Amino acid sequence: MEFSHDRSRDTLVVNASGRVDGSNASDFLESLQGMFDPGDQRIILDLGGLEYISSAGLRVLLMAAQNLDKQNKSFSICSLTEAVGDVFRISGFDQIINVFPSVEDAKQG
Amino acid sequence: MQRSLHLSHPPEQGHPSDVLPLIEDILNEMAEAEEWPITLTMRANLILEELVLNTLTHGDTSGLTKIDLELESQDHALTIRLSDDGSPFNPLTDAPAPDVTLPLADRPIGGLGVYLVKTMGEELEYRRENDRNHLKLVVHPE
Repeated sequence: MEFSHDRSRDTLVVNASGRVDGSNASDFLESLQGMFDPGDQRIILDLGGLEYISSAGLRVLLMAAQNLDKQNKSFSICSLTEAVGDVFRISGFDQIINVFPSVEDAKQG
Repeated sequence: MQRSLHLSHPPEQGHPSDVLPLIEDILNEMAEAEEWPITLTMRANLILEELVLNTLTHGDTSGLTKIDLELESQDHALTIRLSDDGSPFNPLTDAPAPDVTLPLADRPIGGLGVYLVKTMGEELEYRRENDRNHLKLVVHPE
C-alpha cells in the first residue's frame, strides 16, 4: 500500500492506494494512526487508488471509524472504485461510515 | 477455463498470508483471459483470501497438511472448489454471523469475513468426506 496525506487547518485528507489484505492490514492501521494529529477534527480517507480490500482491511476501517467517533471527530471515506464500493455495500459499511463520491463532496459534507 | 492451486501446510513460505499473491496471480490471469468484470475479480479474491486464511490460521490446524483449490469459470461465473484435510469445519454454520445492521459503535470487529463469503457466494455446499472438508460455491459479478 502507499499513502500520502494533506492537512489544511483541522482537516486531514489521507490517500491510500494499492491493496489491503491479510498480509498488510496491521501496517495499514499503524500507518493511519501515525498520520492522525490531535488537532485534526475532520479526517477524510480517499480510497480512489485502492484496488482491493478484504475483511482484514474492512476491520481496520471499522476500528478507525469507531476510534474517531469516540473522540467526536468526523470521519468519512470518498472516491470508492466500483469493486471496493461493491464490498462496502455488501458489508453494510456504506450504512455506518459516511461515503462521498469525491474529496470535494466529503469536505462539504 | 480451469485452474488449480495446491497449498501445503505448514506453508513452504514463512507466513500464511504469503499464499495471497499466488491466489491473486491465478485470478488475474483468468480475469484477463476472459475479461471479467472488476467486481468478479474482487469478489473471487476476497472469498478465496477469507477461506484459505481461515483454514490456515483458525481453529485446530494440527492435522492439516494441504489445501486444494479448483477454479472453473464460464460466462463470468466462477465455480470454486476448496478442500482440505484439516479438522471438520463448516464455515457456513460453524462461524457466527455478524449483525450488519448494528450502528457503528456496536459493530463487532470480527466475523465479517465469513459473512462476506456467504453473501457474495451462491450455491454454497459443504460436505465432509474421506476425512476432508469440501466446500463448493459459485461467484457472480453482481
